[in-house]
Amino acid sequence: MFTDTSQSNARKSIDCRSDGAAELSFTLTDGESRLKHLYQSDPCRVLFPSSRVNGPKEAVIVTTSGGVVGGDRLRFDIHGGTSTTATVTTQAAEKVYRSTGEDSVIDISISVRDAAFLEWVPQETILFEGARLRRFTDIATFGSGRFIAGEIVVFGRRARNEKFTNGLLHDAWRIRTGDALVWLDSLHLDGDIGKTINDRYAFDGAATLATVVYGGFDAKDRLAFAREVIRSGAVTCVDNILIARFIDVDAARLRANVARYWIDLRSELGGLPPVLPRVWET
Amino acid sequence: MNDYAGQYRLLSWLSPSYPVGAFSYSHGLEFAVETGTVSDRASLISWLKTVLIHGTGRIDGVLFREAHVATRAEDWARLKDIAEFGNAFQPTPEFALESRAQGAAFVRVTRSAWPSSALNEVDEDVVYPIAVAVSCAGHDISCRGGLQGYFHAFMGNLVSAAVRLIPLGQTDGQQAVAALEDTVRQAVSQGMEIPFDDIGSAAPLIDLASIQHETQYTRLFRS
Repeated sequence: MFTDTSQSNARKSIDCRSDGAAELSFTLTDGESRLKHLYQSDPCRVLFPSSRVNGPKEAVIVTTSGGVVGGDRLRFDIHGGTSTTATVTTQAAEKVYRSTGEDSVIDISISVRDAAFLEWVPQETILFEGARLRRFTDIATFGSGRFIAGEIVVFGRRARNEKFTNGLLHDAWRIRTGDALVWLDSLHLDGDIGKTINDRYAFDGAATLATVVYGGFDAKDRLAFAREVIRSGAVTCVDNILIARFIDVDAARLRANVARYWIDLRSELGGLPPVLPRVWET
Repeated sequence: MNDYAGQYRLLSWLSPSYPVGAFSYSHGLEFAVETGTVSDRASLISWLKTVLIHGTGRIDGVLFREAHVATRAEDWARLKDIAEFGNAFQPTPEFALESRAQGAAFVRVTRSAWPSSALNEVDEDVVYPIAVAVSCAGHDISCRGGLQGYFHAFMGNLVSAAVRLIPLGQTDGQQAVAALEDTVRQAVSQGMEIPFDDIGSAAPLIDLASIQHETQYTRLFRS
């Protein structure tokens, strides 16, 4: 009989529960965006692959524990200093394992100073059956700071035909401009999640979901462009935030559609090369 | 406040004749009908269940309760926070319009016809569920009773939109209202019970339909 050992291999016992962080801050020095501050604590590590020609400064966050278990807390603080351009992503899909009861918490805090352009587009989060995750993405922009931020969630290990039918997902966004609250959103799944995901008018059996937001003073004027390039999703604008939503029964197809939309946005709005960070290409 | 006066006021505020312009909003139903995903009484009932239990209902019920509790406690700082939160919690621009425009109209009319000191504590740009909750609390109408009225009006308005859009017969529409009695009860219970930290929705396809309604070619409704 087949036994799943991936969780026990990755993390031996509940005593290994982690409380890790990655803090990154970029600053402009001699006309180049450079790392000004770095703090990393287990199980978080930050890698800096050599940037592409004409590409932005890239940082890649790695969770060395191989995934998140109930009770884990991870904190990512990312700051784009004045006039910097930087891209932050993750090395691999984040796995959230079955929890015996406790919630895992991932806190992401992003600030974007005047004239900066920051990208936070991690690879997908895979919720194993029984996973319990609360994730908060908090973004603050100042002056003419702009950002692209995205999240992809996959319900269950689809390659194994696993679904996400019980557990918890609370995935919340908070976007502020200066001190003013601009946009809040949260997806909340608990109870009979299998039934909710199968609900024809709620998810219609979707396996995966993504949100990509663009925030900036020019967002309203960019809606027509975003509508033109988005495929298999829909995009709108609420109070100067472009919000794109994707939902699919096929995780690989959704990932490709999100990647293509991101490339179009970063090249048109950020003047960045129309390619993905290398870790996204595999 | 005696039961007669409270009920009289609640029935007035949440009647389709109360001038908040409810008739002009379909909450994305117009797109769902256009694409054929809602096409008859049975599918309308299913769609409304999703909206009330997993969609906007799951957010508005909690906002209603939090605003009612803060008003009863005369905790105006908390009410201001809830109002700001409610205003920013907008999945789509058409849902924002629907909630903000009805909220503003409700505040204007109610300040004149049924003034209360509580309703002066919120700005005119407050979202609809919070506007109604504050006025209920200001007139000693219970949270549960007020919320039942609020969700009944929300549901009834969308059934009325469906009668015009699908179209359905008037009797079919009322059969849908009758069939949704337990759903509205469940939406009220959720609103009373869900912790504030768990606020959120779980109906991305409802949000997507609202986004797609923005670019629908022929539209009768503002949402």
